[in-house]
Amino acid sequence: MSKSINYLLRRLGFYAIAAWAALTLNFFIPRMMPGDPAAIIFARFRGKLKPEAMNALRETFGLTDEPLLGQYFTYLKNLLTGNLGISIAYFPQPVTDIISTALLWTIFLAGISLIISFSIGTLLGTLAAWKRGSKLDSILPPALAFFGAFPYFWLAMVALFVFGFGLGWFPLRHAYGEHVTPGLNFPFIIDAIYHAILPASTMILVSLGGWMLSMRNTMITTLGADYITFAHAKGLPSRMIMLKFAARNAILPNFTGFGMAIGFVLSGALLTEIIFSYPGQGYLLLEAVRAQDFPLMQGLFMTITLAVLGANWLVDIAILFLDPRTRR
Amino acid sequence: MSTRLNDSILIRWLRGILTNKKALAGSFLVLSFIFIAFVGPFFTYDPNAFLDTPLSPPTFTHWFGTTGQGQDVLAQTISGARQTLLIGFCTGFFVVVIGALIGGISGYYGGRVDDILSMVINVFLVMPGLPLMVILASWLPPGPLTLMGVLVLTGWAWNARVIRSQMMALRGRDFVSAAIVSGERNIRIIVIEIMPRMLSLLASSFIGASIYAISAQVGLEFLGLGDVSTVTWGTNLYWASNDLALLTGSWWTFVPTGLSIAFVSFGLTMINFGIDEVTNPRLISERNWRKLLPKGKMNDGITPVVINHD
Amino acid sequence: MTDILLSIRNLDVEYITPGDPVCAVKNVSFDIARGEIFGLVGESGSGKSTVVQAILRTLPPPAIITGGEILLNGKDILSMSDREVKKFRWQEISIVMQSAMNALNPVIPIRKQISDVLYTHKGYSREKAHQRIKELFDLVDIHYDRMDSYPHELSGGMRQRIVLAIALALMPPLIIMDEPTTALDVIVEREILFKVLELRKELGFTILFITHDLNLLLEFTDRVGVMLKGELVESDEAVRINSGGQHPYTKKLIGALPSATGPRRKDLLPRPEQFKIGEKPLIEIHNLNKKFHLSGFIRPKMLHAVKDVSFNIYPGEIVSLVGESGSGKSTIARLIARLIPPTSGTIILDGIDIFKSEPRSASLNYRRKVQMVFQDPFGSLNSVHTVFHHLARPIIRHRLIPQAELYKYIIDMLETVGLSPGSLFADKFPHEMSGGERQRVAIARALSLQPELIVADEPTSMLDVSIRMHILQILANLRGEKNVAVLFITHDLASARYLADRIIVLKNGSQVEHGNSEELIQSPQHTYTKQLIAAASPGWLKKNLLKTNENRDSK
Repeated sequence: MSKSINYLLRRLGFYAIAAWAALTLNFFIPRMMPGDPAAIIFARFRGKLKPEAMNALRETFGLTDEPLLGQYFTYLKNLLTGNLGISIAYFPQPVTDIISTALLWTIFLAGISLIISFSIGTLLGTLAAWKRGSKLDSILPPALAFFGAFPYFWLAMVALFVFGFGLGWFPLRHAYGEHVTPGLNFPFIIDAIYHAILPASTMILVSLGGWMLSMRNTMITTLGADYITFAHAKGLPSRMIMLKFAARNAILPNFTGFGMAIGFVLSGALLTEIIFSYPGQGYLLLEAVRAQDFPLMQGLFMTITLAVLGANWLVDIAILFLDPRTRR
Repeated sequence: MSTRLNDSILIRWLRGILTNKKALAGSFLVLSFIFIAFVGPFFTYDPNAFLDTPLSPPTFTHWFGTTGQGQDVLAQTISGARQTLLIGFCTGFFVVVIGALIGGISGYYGGRVDDILSMVINVFLVMPGLPLMVILASWLPPGPLTLMGVLVLTGWAWNARVIRSQMMALRGRDFVSAAIVSGERNIRIIVIEIMPRMLSLLASSFIGASIYAISAQVGLEFLGLGDVSTVTWGTNLYWASNDLALLTGSWWTFVPTGLSIAFVSFGLTMINFGIDEVTNPRLISERNWRKLLPKGKMNDGITPVVINHD
Repeated sequence: MTDILLSIRNLDVEYITPGDPVCAVKNVSFDIARGEIFGLVGESGSGKSTVVQAILRTLPPPAIITGGEILLNGKDILSMSDREVKKFRWQEISIVMQSAMNALNPVIPIRKQISDVLYTHKGYSREKAHQRIKELFDLVDIHYDRMDSYPHELSGGMRQRIVLAIALALMPPLIIMDEPTTALDVIVEREILFKVLELRKELGFTILFITHDLNLLLEFTDRVGVMLKGELVESDEAVRINSGGQHPYTKKLIGALPSATGPRRKDLLPRPEQFKIGEKPLIEIHNLNKKFHLSGFIRPKMLHAVKDVSFNIYPGEIVSLVGESGSGKSTIARLIARLIPPTSGTIILDGIDIFKSEPRSASLNYRRKVQMVFQDPFGSLNSVHTVFHHLARPIIRHRLIPQAELYKYIIDMLETVGLSPGSLFADKFPHEMSGGERQRVAIARALSLQPELIVADEPTSMLDVSIRMHILQILANLRGEKNVAVLFITHDLASARYLADRIIVLKNGSQVEHGNSEELIQSPQHTYTKQLIAAASPGWLKKNLLKTNENRDSK
């Protein structure tokens, strides 16, 4: 048991380092650019920004006359206390306030699509490997690879165009309609799910092939293992061998890959949000880019990084339960 | 000095890929896009010129219609391929070089060096790509070099991880130990002894990285983080969305570009499928094995009896 | 033969490849009588494992059975429906596979890997299954509180006993044992075999035993079949095979290996009488220690693989390090070849402590003088380069021979190790040669630098029995012709005795005993050495059986 805790703490330590690295990168990127970052900001917003907004901006980035190390510590202190600065696009709202609700929507939409797509993909991969050469195995991988070749947001555009504008089956934008009041009430939840169907399906369609292929490949390797032959020799039922022996082992490396890919898939999810004007992190990202809202961008980078690290930790916990070898 | 190159497994591998159906089909698709990107712009309209009524649907003069700025969509799609593919493949190349360098060093030397480098690799892996790209691209002056730098910085870690683990596996093999015992320098061992063994991985890494670079690049430009005055597949989509293509129902402004991206990526994926098949001949053996069986009898763990087979 | 349990008639098995199908088993026929132990022997690739997997029809793709009959109690397994196949497996025939670690599902506790057959075939209730598992654990001498362990928590010997327990779960009349002890150390191997024979006496099942080790089979089987390249070349009673056999291949196998005990055979004398070993040590090894980091940063767990090992090697001498896996013998080889750095200790060559003062040139000089031959000839050559490349590179690196003479020198080297004509082999790629030829190339590569010491790490253990002696012979000739010292690392006392002047016995990283080979074999001092020698002597099994019977009787 202590081994398990040890393992989780070790992983947590790694995430702390990763988070620190992201923070530090974020601090140094503006300062590594040619020229003075304050001057760059000033030049870009010449005349467009109120003096108090300009000051808030300087403060957010710690661009004071302090020495670099001093600036760095002020910056770290600000972040640790949850102070991500003041947004320019939504001046004078603090970045933290803007991000917090958006983060929930992203976790809802991207989280659900990730889990659905990973589960279906893993299941399909298991079946395809088990029935190698069957119709399922010979048609689905190239077909899904073809869908996987489209940019997320482009498929979202087409889906919106066909099912939203053309057929009118699904709402065109936002996470819920105007006729419902946000909160834990039934009409709101139904409406939120209704709004999520189209964006979630496009995300699932694009990412499904990757999960299926990687599960299929690890499963094929696993099927060559001695314990599979041994299980067959024991006369066990096929379904039991497929699930309890082959898939049960093949899913372990896939789970690790799942953790690693969360950050990557999330990028696609953010772009999909933009197409559907979904009020999540991705939509804010576009706003931030359009308005050159540096504090908001930085805040988004921080929160998304932390969300990905958190998700990875959950994956670690799952692996701990699935693989006795990590428990030792 | 050796005259029997034809029997080398590297040449056989290469020959295998050149005769593999999937790899051939994929290469054909990708090469035709590259060809069109090179030659096409000499035969089309000027992609930047205002030619006709904005947002007019496909006609005989403008096969793919016009954009919101009245430009020819066909011309834009073709000349957009140039920069997008160029940046895509260059990024793919640099990503593999950096991945091979860092992953290779980490896997070869092991110990402390590996502790530190693999930590760096893992940190970059868990960092979400898009927001980091956005931050980088927003501070840097827009342009193709910025784009490439940003893509390389956020994309190298995956390759480094894969190459590191293969390097570790090969590093432990006795042929490497034998080279060390005979006094070879490390750099020579890595380049002459180990790298040729990783050719298949390096090739598929390059292709995988190019796919990544094309899609990430298009995503960034779609957000408006590229140089929006150049014509690329990404900026085509950016302008299509800016000109409210969806609201006006002008599907032709984004469909050709999107399909082109998909065809190129799909072609590259097919090449990778082919490389996979050639590298694991077991897949082909099994396919031949299945052909001998009655339908519906596969992999239930019972060896088939085929008496009539001769 | 009266009561035949299993009868194999004209069995053919093919593997489908991208090109033409490859015939793995050709026209194999033999019978196994109820209650006997039948041994099937052959080298790797002889098709012996294919035969047993065909019996259970568990051969994975791309194998197909193309002809023959396998009659179990008169019923043909090859014409059974899939349902029938699933039913007869384990009820009628069970199997103990070579590597127990790989045969057990790593993520499921071992209890469940026994109960699944009880549920599937017998429909046992939970309590009944639990009771049966307890019985089975008792049978194989494992305490039942180990039931909820996972495979990785058990030692190799324990895992093999668990697999044995699984094989006994339904008490099938026939148990197949496919190299069940190959992955284990000699002493553990003997314990397991002993257990198997004891159980058979108690429970009376029939055994089909597969191995590459004919001497082992002759210890306890009733009848033996010999396989070569997919065909059964001879099948006879063990006693008759033991006295020579009919087929030339069987004869070759019988005479293939020296024995660890008994009088020394004249033709096996390793050292030519006129040959003199140098007096000043070539290499001195003092208090060598190696610890490997296993896990943990703050309180690291270390594996002390080599503990205070010291010995000298004299010019032209052959010294053998003998030990089981985990004894640290290969680590010592790698330390001396400078593939890994030691934790502490010194190695002195030509009066220089090589771990302390090492300018580049000195280091390169050491590399030239100390060469290594590895265990696995498939792994130690790089498949993308020709034989010429493998031999030329070291010479070019050390600037040993002028460029113009290089080719001729390499041809000579190849012919020295018995690869002639050398010009034919120089252009070959590793995959175009057999295992034995590859190992010769590896020796030629080590030789090409004209070293003073060759470290040979189990150079024969991956080779087929019939060519092992040739490789040992080459090593023995080298020191006669070129005055090269050899550090010969092996787990096999018999080959050590055959080749070496001195033997050092290792256990858990420490030197246990050290002496001239013949003296050490004839009068071992340490208990561990005695155990090793006893395990490698013919007739050990019968002695053991007698011993326990005596013990039982006296109780």
